[in-house]
Amino acid sequence: MLKEKYKAEIDEILSRYPVRRSALLPLLYLAQQEEGYVSEPAMKEIASILRLTPPQVYETVTFYTMFNLKPIGRFHIQVCKSLMCALVGSDPLIGWLEAKLDVKPGDTTKDGLFTLSKVECLGACGTGPMMQINSDYYERLTEEKVDRILADLKRDGTSTLKSGPFMWPEPAQRA
Amino acid sequence: MPHAAVDTVTLTIDGHHLTVPKGTLVIEAARQAGVMVPHFCYHPKLKPDANCRMCLVEVEKMPKLQTACSTPVAEGMVVRTATTVVNEAHKSVLEFILANHPLDCPVCDQGGRCDLQDFSHQYTPTTSRFIEVKRVFPKEYFSPLIETQMNRCVQCLRCVRYCDEVMDVKALAPSGRGTMTEIKSFLHHELDCEFCGGCVQICPVGAITSRLSMYEYRPWMLKRADTVCTYCGDGCQITIQTKDNQLVEVMSAQGAGRNNGDLCARGFFGYHVSTHPDRLRHPLIRRDGVLVQATWEEALELVAETAVRLKLAHGPNAFAGLIAARCTNEDLYLFQKFMRLAIGTNHLDSSARYGQINGVRALRRVQGTHRWTVTFEDIVSADALLLVGTNITETNPITGLKVKEAVKKRQATLLTIDSLEPAVGAISNIANLSSHHFSVHPDRFKPAVLGLIKAVVEDGHVDPTLAQRAPAYLQTISDSVQDLSWPAIEAATGGTPESFREAARTFARSARAVILIGQGVLRTADGYGLATTLLDLLLLTGQHGRPGCGLAPLAEENNDQGAVEMGAVAEYLPGPGDLSDPAARSRVAQLWKEDLPQEPGLTLMPMLERARAGALKAMFIVGENPVGSLPLSAKAKEALQSLEFLACQELFLTETAQLAHVVLPACSYAEKDGTFTNTEGHVQAVRHAIDPIGESRPDWEIFSALSVLMGYPLEYGDAKEILKEIRSLIPDYGRLGPAPTPMRPATEAVDGYLHTGYATDAADRYALSGTGHEARGAGNDGHLTLLIAQSLFHSGKLSTRSKGLLQVQAEGSLTLNPADAARLGLADRDQVRVTNNLGAMTTTVMLAERVPKGLVLFPEHFDQEARRLLTVSTDPVTQVPYYKLTQVTIERL
Amino acid sequence: MPKHEPVLLKNMLQPGYTGSLADYERAGGYQALRTVLGKIPPAEVTHMVIKSGLRGRGGAGFPTGVKWGFLPKDYTGPKYLCCNADESEPGTFKDRQLMERDPHQVLEGIAIACYAIGVETAYIYIRGEFALGAKILEAAIREARAAGYLGTNVLGTGRTMNVWVHRGAGAYICGEETALLESLEGKRGLPRVKPPFPATHGLYNKPTVVNNVETLANLPHIITRGPDWFASIGSPPKSAGTRIFCVSGHVKRPGNYEVPMGITCRELIFEQAGGMRSDKPLKAFIPGGASAPFLTPDHLDVKLDFESVAQAGSMLGSGGVTVMEEGTDMVWAALRLTEFFYHESCGKCSPCREGSSWLVQTLRRIVAGQGRMQDLETLTDLCQNIAGRTVCAFGDAEVSPILSTLKYWRHEYEALIRAAEADGPTELLMPTAARH
Ligand SMILES: Cc1cc2nc3c(=O)[nH]c(=O)nc-3n(C[C@H](O)[C@H](O)[C@H](O)COP(=O)(O)O)c2cc1C
Ligand code: SF4
Ligand code: FES
Repeated sequence: MLKEKYKAEIDEILSRYPVRRSALLPLLYLAQQEEGYVSEPAMKEIASILRLTPPQVYETVTFYTMFNLKPIGRFHIQVCKSLMCALVGSDPLIGWLEAKLDVKPGDTTKDGLFTLSKVECLGACGTGPMMQINSDYYERLTEEKVDRILADLKRDGTSTLKSGPFMWPEPAQRA
Repeated sequence: MPHAAVDTVTLTIDGHHLTVPKGTLVIEAARQAGVMVPHFCYHPKLKPDANCRMCLVEVEKMPKLQTACSTPVAEGMVVRTATTVVNEAHKSVLEFILANHPLDCPVCDQGGRCDLQDFSHQYTPTTSRFIEVKRVFPKEYFSPLIETQMNRCVQCLRCVRYCDEVMDVKALAPSGRGTMTEIKSFLHHELDCEFCGGCVQICPVGAITSRLSMYEYRPWMLKRADTVCTYCGDGCQITIQTKDNQLVEVMSAQGAGRNNGDLCARGFFGYHVSTHPDRLRHPLIRRDGVLVQATWEEALELVAETAVRLKLAHGPNAFAGLIAARCTNEDLYLFQKFMRLAIGTNHLDSSARYGQINGVRALRRVQGTHRWTVTFEDIVSADALLLVGTNITETNPITGLKVKEAVKKRQATLLTIDSLEPAVGAISNIANLSSHHFSVHPDRFKPAVLGLIKAVVEDGHVDPTLAQRAPAYLQTISDSVQDLSWPAIEAATGGTPESFREAARTFARSARAVILIGQGVLRTADGYGLATTLLDLLLLTGQHGRPGCGLAPLAEENNDQGAVEMGAVAEYLPGPGDLSDPAARSRVAQLWKEDLPQEPGLTLMPMLERARAGALKAMFIVGENPVGSLPLSAKAKEALQSLEFLACQELFLTETAQLAHVVLPACSYAEKDGTFTNTEGHVQAVRHAIDPIGESRPDWEIFSALSVLMGYPLEYGDAKEILKEIRSLIPDYGRLGPAPTPMRPATEAVDGYLHTGYATDAADRYALSGTGHEARGAGNDGHLTLLIAQSLFHSGKLSTRSKGLLQVQAEGSLTLNPADAARLGLADRDQVRVTNNLGAMTTTVMLAERVPKGLVLFPEHFDQEARRLLTVSTDPVTQVPYYKLTQVTIERL
Repeated sequence: MPKHEPVLLKNMLQPGYTGSLADYERAGGYQALRTVLGKIPPAEVTHMVIKSGLRGRGGAGFPTGVKWGFLPKDYTGPKYLCCNADESEPGTFKDRQLMERDPHQVLEGIAIACYAIGVETAYIYIRGEFALGAKILEAAIREARAAGYLGTNVLGTGRTMNVWVHRGAGAYICGEETALLESLEGKRGLPRVKPPFPATHGLYNKPTVVNNVETLANLPHIITRGPDWFASIGSPPKSAGTRIFCVSGHVKRPGNYEVPMGITCRELIFEQAGGMRSDKPLKAFIPGGASAPFLTPDHLDVKLDFESVAQAGSMLGSGGVTVMEEGTDMVWAALRLTEFFYHESCGKCSPCREGSSWLVQTLRRIVAGQGRMQDLETLTDLCQNIAGRTVCAFGDAEVSPILSTLKYWRHEYEALIRAAEADGPTELLMPTAARH
């Protein structure tokens, strides 16, 4: 139950909005953070917190691509396939990932570690090809860099290759 | 209604010049000019969403085509709907909409009345340029009553918007996005909602249809009859569609009736009662203790002979009659005439006695009207609405929609005093819309009302003219409420003085205020007194008598109001006029050309008592079922068994009919002609949709036949002739226009009340003591209050024969608050034993947030077992039997 | 070599600049807020913004001060400001940098706008994927509140300015201002029918202003250096100020370049972004994000300002400039973008919803070698039937890639189709359908 575990946080979220329903996306994030996806009990609980009907929560959840309605792998790899990244090689990158992980986009590796998805533009078009893993961005990818990232994640659960605060081109590169 | 002159706008549409009110949408203005702009997503009940883009029109000086459904008219606007550009736009939008449509018209129930078909016929070529793959939604089971076929959906979202904007139910979820948007409920669960059928009705294509009539017809095969639903006092106009004397479907057209096309589950899905296989098809006569089939001649002669014999032996007052307020006005009128003339007794009563009479008598007492002084329109345009003791959605769903419309669309303030808590559920809950909600125990509505009145008096909201007009009245009430202490009110109701003060301020300051009272007031102890006190509230604030203001008791049965007006209750003659009023008596006697019986009539409860005592010898019971309705402790069965003769007219062999000596099969509303009078006093035509089932006959015809055989011929050619006679007593009865002009309070009556009338029971009405039971709510002893309540999905016991409604609710279960359940170690669906000193019953439990702690609810429609646990008390004035509340303990089995 | 001084990116180009409050203050941050608070009447601030000529950087380019002026004048109830940080237009990635690198600049802009339009609550609606940006902004808000720049009683003036970060959750359409409001209200992000406009009926049906991140970030500078200074940059009067152009695609140095509006495409691509990445010449470019029609090498000397780009048949949009080199398959490129639009169409209105799926399928079929000549006419027709007939501007956007590539590179479509036809009549991949 979210209500017990995150009472203070939920109250704080509710306090930001004059109308309760506005807290829906923040609470869905909370639920997804808790279980890795938005479960049916979570939707019902959120509905009751916000005084909505479960269908009202459901219609909203299904509109947004970032909410998973089913459990997924521990690392959700989302590779941008939109034109700008495609111009600089996202298609071969996806191929590389498919081969490395032995999955098709939309699927999860057998060990439950990685789910691979192709997604539309993530707002990093100058630093493509790129991918997002959970909430971190990884940019200017090469096959070799991808290999290191995957190894890092497997080993440490995180990777230092993720992007920091974004700046492109980096100042040093400006003549 | 007196409205300020509305601003108007003059514009031109396709060359027609017209003047319409400001704010009118172009699509509506066009309709007025006789120009139909094609559309899918637009619906006059809904806020414009302009999503289908079908209604594009050319507006001079606007660069782009505009959607007629969302563009308001403007002065001098020039609109063109028939240019080549517009026509091409309509074609192209239709081409898009058809792209993914499966074109399965041959197997679609909407075929023949489908907007998409009609527009396609009008606009599109016979071949499509779309050669790609159509999107296909996997078929999912949606619900027992409603079918979705999402491939046909045009995504206009009318269903979703209706469910939210009009019904406030919010059970439909458009899920996914883009072309893959489909209407679902919640995940893969089946639909859980009010089943009002609104989505079926409002879908412009065949994407949402009724499963009750799936694949059974093509629309043009159906015969239609416009009539009135028989399930509650709202009196919705319905169109029954039939094929070969079978009921196929019910619908209600936008704009039709007082309900404006809206219906509830009972109206939309409950229609199969009339053709239920258990319908009585032949008269039955008791021979050697068993009821056996007989001919009409045999049965009628037996009844007539016995009646004549018993009347000779015991006199007319050994007879009594009881009739259901589900009958038509014509039935009710003739019934009381039959009892008063052919039999010669005033011992007659109807189901209006169960509560409606409390409201009517309070109105007559205080303001001399037997009807509302407001209409549905006044509810919609009210500034403040006070609902007391009514879970309006479940008892009077359509009046409930008017309340929702007032609050949601017109920003009226809603105040509620009820036992249910605001909580979101699958059924809309009016308390959720309330800005001043007092959640009080069902036997504590009175202290809450007194709290409001105290605040009105103390905070200076009293009408200043009252001090002159009725000084003693004002003094009495002021003194009485000053004597009440806030702590005592708070203790009784849980409401703080501030909350009463705020509510009183809001209410008193509103120009148009309507009070609606329901079964929680009318069918519980204090009903009559509390209704009177609520009229005091209006008198005190000066709202009484103001246009658009008034007290509106909600009728439970479809013709409760008619029963009173037809004089089918002991104390009234048709009109209604008081039985004891010489003028009223002589008017009726003159028309009937015969003197009326003298002895005051017995009402339901004394009737049963007299029967039990052996003083009554015979009863006629028409469509009523006291054995099945009253608690066992009322000993109705013993009473009827003590009779020498019992004749019943019925649709089914009810518990009561089983005791009869003769059972005469009567027609249901679907086979009758006549009129019903709804809760607001609107008289509406009932028209037969099918031929009588079996040998059944309309009730009035049976009285008429009996009267002839008894030598007091009351002969009529048809129901219309009876209505004509009714009209000679009540001028223009049933000739009221589409929006009835409400009655006005009679000044003499109000003055009489203000001067002396109020005083008889003021002390009682303004005392906190004596309200309610001592042991109430969940104490440490584990006692809970059991409330027998109405469910949205049923109406009386009749609807428990409707296959549609049974699919939504097949049996009764006990609803209670999750906290109480936890305390008692109960989970949803657990079996429990419910006991008190009178008896015990077994049932399942259901948890619901809106049931307050300490209260448990059981639906009256399935209360056969629960009736063991109830006692009956009788109102000292109106003799209304109260038996909806009791104390119980609950344990898990 | 920038021959001009960056404004918005100036701080972050300083070595060691972290974007912390201390850094920002050291660079002169929050002086503008101090200047306006209590010293310049709100109406005057609005006037300054009108005078500066600032136009929205979110895509539509509406004059910012004029938009503020649409708020009802004597209204005393709650009003809202929404900072549009949804940045989902393919090719655009500037707001992300502004928020992650110099969050206080954005916050100060928000505070100034709040002051000018009399708003006590502002929401930053940031696309859900920008989790880092949201975190940075939230931290910055905490700092600013602690320092009295935000919160109740801002800088001791008794004013309340509460700013909250609200994360979207993956829906491009939520960048459209009314869809953004719906989403912020916890609903599906479906654009609203306009009118009424947000200025009168916005968030919670209250008067609301929606402004882009970059638009707001300009405000402190307009206050500090004056509207005349701002109006003198770029190509005034219609296109005053600098613009951060996000260059992506086949260039040597993709990235964000802040330059005065009015420099030519050639300057941006070949001087700022270092020119083409290989020896292949430029074949096509998009000047203003995925919604803007493609342009050709013939347009390289078009000035990057609102009017010039519009005259060239495209639009400045969100400032996302995507460059494609010779050899890029234009049908494929159009398909990629159309797939994006198909994926992101919210589904509210029929032409966009059905049209986007129809367009995608037809393009896929052509690319798969199953095109037919009449497809081109159908594509053109469909595009024309979508544009201008939808609830929001998405409809106009989604047809840009197809119409513009058909305009300049029709021969590529035809070649694909002719090749397919040369292979002889093929069975269509898809089931044919639809006599009705
Ligand atoms: C489909 C669509 C997507 C949009 N996406 C964005 C966006 O991501 N960010 C943005 O600032 N404006 C976006 N806009 C523009 C906004 O609707 C709005 O014009 C802008 O936020 C106003 O701010 P401005 O006046 O400061 O530019 C989008 C518009 C459309 C039609
Ligand atoms: S039951 Fe009442 S509300 Fe429902 S359709 Fe019938 S008359 Fe209308
Ligand atoms: S009826 Fe106007 S857009 Fe649908």
